[in-house]
Amino acid sequence: MPKLYTFIKYFCVILWSCFVIAPFLWAISTSFKDFNSVTGGATYIPWLQFEPTLDGWSVLFKPGSQGGINIIGPYFNSIFVTFTASFISIALGTLSAYALSRYTFKAGFVQNNDITFFFISQRIMPPVVLAIPFFLFLSTLGLLDSLAGLILVYIVLLMPIAVWIMVDFFNRVPKEIDETALIDGCNPFQAFFKVVLPNSIPGMIVAGLFCIIFGWIDFFFAFILTFTNVQLLPVKIVALNSSITPWWSLSAAALVSVAPLIVVAFVVERFLSKGNLSGALK
Amino acid sequence: MAKIELNNIAHSYNPHDANPLFALKEMSLSWADGGRYALLGPSGCGKTTMLNIMSGLVTPSHGRVMFDQKDVTHTITEERNIAQVFQFPVIYGTMSVYENLAFPLKCRHFADDQIDKKVKEVAEILNLQDFLKNRAKGLTADQKQLISLGRGLVREDVAAILMDEPLTVIDPDLKFRLRRKLKEINAKYKTTLIYVTHDQNEAMTFADNIIVMDEGEVVQAGSPKDLFERPQTTFVGYFIGSPAMNLYECQADNTNQVSLGMNTISVQTNLDQKNTSNLKLGIRSEYITVEQSSGPNTIHADVIEVEDFGNYKLITAQQDSLRIKAKVKREQVVPTDKVFLKFPAEHCCIYANNKLI
Repeated sequence: MPKLYTFIKYFCVILWSCFVIAPFLWAISTSFKDFNSVTGGATYIPWLQFEPTLDGWSVLFKPGSQGGINIIGPYFNSIFVTFTASFISIALGTLSAYALSRYTFKAGFVQNNDITFFFISQRIMPPVVLAIPFFLFLSTLGLLDSLAGLILVYIVLLMPIAVWIMVDFFNRVPKEIDETALIDGCNPFQAFFKVVLPNSIPGMIVAGLFCIIFGWIDFFFAFILTFTNVQLLPVKIVALNSSITPWWSLSAAALVSVAPLIVVAFVVERFLSKGNLSGALK
Repeated sequence: MAKIELNNIAHSYNPHDANPLFALKEMSLSWADGGRYALLGPSGCGKTTMLNIMSGLVTPSHGRVMFDQKDVTHTITEERNIAQVFQFPVIYGTMSVYENLAFPLKCRHFADDQIDKKVKEVAEILNLQDFLKNRAKGLTADQKQLISLGRGLVREDVAAILMDEPLTVIDPDLKFRLRRKLKEINAKYKTTLIYVTHDQNEAMTFADNIIVMDEGEVVQAGSPKDLFERPQTTFVGYFIGSPAMNLYECQADNTNQVSLGMNTISVQTNLDQKNTSNLKLGIRSEYITVEQSSGPNTIHADVIEVEDFGNYKLITAQQDSLRIKAKVKREQVVPTDKVFLKFPAEHCCIYANNKLI
């Protein structure tokens, strides 16, 4: 019976791994193909079934004058905008979430839970509802087509995620830990920064991961709020499309664009292990 | 260290409601400097609220909190210089054991050498010296609670150490040793210790003074002896002692006699001109004796059960609706069918409307 259980367990793990890894392998394989290899039926093994070429990759780094799209600038723009907006969202979101978790706010029928819901309702609305307000907002501030404007918009979009995750995290942290810090001689700010915050790093990492993912994959706002000065990676990748879909370049672009998320996932994975999340406080 | 006084303190968590519910009803209490107290009562009786009022985590709805005659009712927690240990261990998970113990001293800007000396001294008292470099998060629940306790003990100048059922997660043997340790600390440093518990044995063995609470009120405060021998209310009689006090409804016959079922019991309470309705007679099972024959204050009852607890026997006997529990010495010969049980007059307590006359 234990052997059967082990077999089923490994079978499921392998099946799931294939499900997850297969698209990557497919994209890697396709990125090294040319037009004929892609359209001439399914091929898998380089050199035996098709002759690998770097054409798909070189398009990503060639300037427009040579028929490429040069993603290096947009790539770093995306990294800068996503990470800056995520960092600010986490910083502000953590402070807001702590206040919502520990203090009681009441204005008529509006209470803490309603305020938390108000934050997350920003994400429930279809993005198109926010398009014109954001456009006018950035236009008024003179921040259209700028990195600062995008960061500002992304903070508005990402902070609700941070608040939502962190409120739940702080609610599960016993208030006795804050009270103990007060009794030990901290003022409320010291209690937060010296005791609560260091213990909240797992929650902040989870919230940060979500912010980075949502910021990184956004196409809609990057598309409508930028023109020529500033471009982000998703917009640039879409520019690859033409009458003949260049699957090889798109695959290479997909791999390049997913790389930062994979790196982030590997870095934070150790913080997300069970031991680090459970018993973080007690 | 300080003398702590609660003057006309009352607290409600919903003071603005039309009918506020008071977790703590109006009371005044005084805690002598260097005393060892236990707050005893069932869950929800207001013990923790009282502790939180003293530490400043809760501001009372009414009344004043005085430390050495200084009004601290609205003084913030960190300025009260109080140590408090909660029921479940609260440790700073990202710090080492050493850093946890040093934290209250660092917050108060003690010199490093003083901190080091004090941390090591407390760690030795609590047997934590081998774990000082370990991450606090990785320790067992009782070790974590020792850290919580240690953070309270590192400061010698605290007004009081408030402990809210601190030994709940600690195993019985260590619990016993820690209670003894706390007594030693109290004797050595003259630190006021206030210990909240719902375990009467813990309270009786730890404290010089016990405050019994029920439904937000202090029902009796006194030494363990007072509480045991002269419970001021039937609640205290029932709550303190194992088994609980024998309590029976009775009627006053004359000045010093009550009738208990078909028995007449003499008591030393003067029942003259007292409100004699809703009377109860209470007697500890420890004071009921087994007699060879009938006599004054003796009840002839059927033996239901005799339990041997090693160092004593517990007799359960019944006469009509009277169920009597008597604790006797282990070597006492107890008849198996009928027994004469004597209620000594000096140990009979009479309660009118559940209050001692």
